[in-house]
Amino acid sequence: MKRLVAFCLLATTIVAACTSTTTTAPAASSSGNTATGQHPKVGLVTDVGGLNDKSFNALADKGRKDAAAQLIVDTSVTESKQQADYVPNLTKYAQDKYDLVIGVGFLMQNAVWKVAKQFPNVKFAIIDGAPQDDAGKTDNLPNVANLFFKEQEAGYIVGVIAATMAKDKVGTATHNTVCSMGGLPIPPVDRYIAGYQDAVTKTSPTTKILNGYSQDFVDQQKGKEVGIKHIAAGCDILFQVAGGSGIGYINAAKDAKVYAIGVDADQAAVAPGTVITSALKKVDVAVFQTIRSIRLSTFKAGDNSFNAANDGVGFGALDKIVPANAKAAADQALADIKSGKVTPKDTLTVK
Amino acid sequence: MTQLQVPSTGPGSLSPAPSVRQLTFQWAAGPAIPILSVVIALLLGAVFVLLSGNDPVKAYAALVQGAFGTPYDITETIVSAIPLVLTGLSVAIAFRTGLFNIGAQGQLLVGALTAGWAGSQFASLPGLLLMPIVIVFGIAGGAFYGGIVGVLKAVRGVNEVITTIMLNYTIVFVMHWLLQAGPMTAQNALGTPASTPIGAGARLPVIIPNDLVPFSRLHAGLILAALAVLAFWFLLWRTPLGYRLRAVGLGSRAAAQAGIDPAKHLIVVMAIAGGFAGLGGMIEVSGLFGRVYDGFASSYGFDAIAVALLGKNSPIGIVFAALLFGAFVHGGAYMQSHANISSNLVAIIQAFVLFVIAAEAIVRSLTKRRGRKPVEAIA
Repeated sequence: MKRLVAFCLLATTIVAACTSTTTTAPAASSSGNTATGQHPKVGLVTDVGGLNDKSFNALADKGRKDAAAQLIVDTSVTESKQQADYVPNLTKYAQDKYDLVIGVGFLMQNAVWKVAKQFPNVKFAIIDGAPQDDAGKTDNLPNVANLFFKEQEAGYIVGVIAATMAKDKVGTATHNTVCSMGGLPIPPVDRYIAGYQDAVTKTSPTTKILNGYSQDFVDQQKGKEVGIKHIAAGCDILFQVAGGSGIGYINAAKDAKVYAIGVDADQAAVAPGTVITSALKKVDVAVFQTIRSIRLSTFKAGDNSFNAANDGVGFGALDKIVPANAKAAADQALADIKSGKVTPKDTLTVK
Repeated sequence: MTQLQVPSTGPGSLSPAPSVRQLTFQWAAGPAIPILSVVIALLLGAVFVLLSGNDPVKAYAALVQGAFGTPYDITETIVSAIPLVLTGLSVAIAFRTGLFNIGAQGQLLVGALTAGWAGSQFASLPGLLLMPIVIVFGIAGGAFYGGIVGVLKAVRGVNEVITTIMLNYTIVFVMHWLLQAGPMTAQNALGTPASTPIGAGARLPVIIPNDLVPFSRLHAGLILAALAVLAFWFLLWRTPLGYRLRAVGLGSRAAAQAGIDPAKHLIVVMAIAGGFAGLGGMIEVSGLFGRVYDGFASSYGFDAIAVALLGKNSPIGIVFAALLFGAFVHGGAYMQSHANISSNLVAIIQAFVLFVIAAEAIVRSLTKRRGRKPVEAIA
């Protein structure tokens, strides 16, 4: 009798357990579905620079956080520790049925191509790059947005500031000569410099322009050597477009007590008093807008341009040495580019 | 008559027939200390999770789920473990010979570069011919780079810790030159510093069918790594050379007295250590990337020191330690994205593992001072 009671109890527990799982399971999955239906899920994968790079990754994460705060989206971020992590980090989000997966930086071009090809139903975005096949050729995919920036517009605005200061001989800028240095003569670098030179020739035709390359994006010493050469040739305002190597270029300006202009992110903190402003790529804006495009179903594959008109590029904080007329000229240039009155050149005037 | 007597059993002599209990204890004592150190490291890591205002249980659950949650994750954990196995073997074989190889990182990069060069130089060759060439180039590159350290140590007595660290930096900058604007630089890499791609025959195939584990990257490098583990075991415990290497490691003066030239063996072991690491570099290039990216490996060689220590320089131990660290790497990313805990926690735990192992050596030397253990037998 005892056994029978025990058996019955056991049987009812099992049945109860089964029914309870069968009843809760669909409820859970349906609530999951509605959750994904209402809240698009967005995953951000950094490159090896990590979240504290004070540059693209940090800005991209800021864009993600802004979107999480202002739009109804669920977001998360994964830091890549090494090159081999890009593919699995992107894959993980795609497998988890995220609606949008964003890769930061051109280092991930091949990884985004690989993963996006395998998950045609997931949307991807890559900052400052385009999907690239194994042979290294750009291969645009129907589910990948390439977030590019109009570097020449940012270069133009800081060029206006530089030319105004050179023309008026502000502070230690006494030689009426402005310079720029790229890392390598590759298109995104040259577009910055082209806009810069275009602004200088238009704002102050008498100002002399020099340009050079450090042939490196990392080595500060190489950037510094170019900087010393440029300063010896009379340069008072130095615009760097060379990543880490450009920090050396800025330091050369700091040592000689002349002025420098930062690039990509606001680099005022690199050398306060030396860096008068920075030409900005607003990666945070690009990320935010792309996440918003998922909410609004306006996601566009292929090249997406971020420019002055959509607040994708701009200029950083101005040092106190920058006079009011230079600031006014920069604001005017920004407005003119926005309205289409000025179209900065994207090819170099001075090689 | 007295001469035939069995010498009295003092400290250090083995009892003639060990009991079953003793054998079980010996077997369990092997992995016990590494496992304990990992547990302590995880507990210490949990304190940091708590300090950062998060739930450690949630963190570790996400870590485990990320590393082993799906078949795909398991294969990815293995993919992350493969280079650590090779660099772990590299560090361990040097340890066994009494050397501290901090240069597995540099040796891996050289192996990647030589393998990548051969793979693109002879890209048109069929796989049957090209694959062995690439493997040999990878091993030879690493062996050459490790050999430099061995020669400097043997001929001039230069401390290998210093030379390996310095050579790690050297190759990083050589790599910048080769891949950014040098002879190996790909023409159309669109700003990504990388080498020209290797030929199709030099690619290690994916060994898991796509319909079994979709999107898996688990490549034939697993087989090469398994062979390397076997080779490590066979070399050290089944060959005269391995015997001599271990003899040098246990006491180079005693080995010299026994007619083993320690200097020669220092060179040999550093070349072998470099060969293991170089093979690791070749596997990453052939299995994952298909070309050499500038700075593609950030920490394989350094994690390898922890892997070798945790694995007690034994082949099986290294495999498990590498899998654990591979799980940290792959699961750490998931922990960050799904539990919102910085994947840097993984680095903290890894550091604690090292710390606890180092502390264990101190504790042991303090507690075991009385009854001195016999010197471990060589054979």
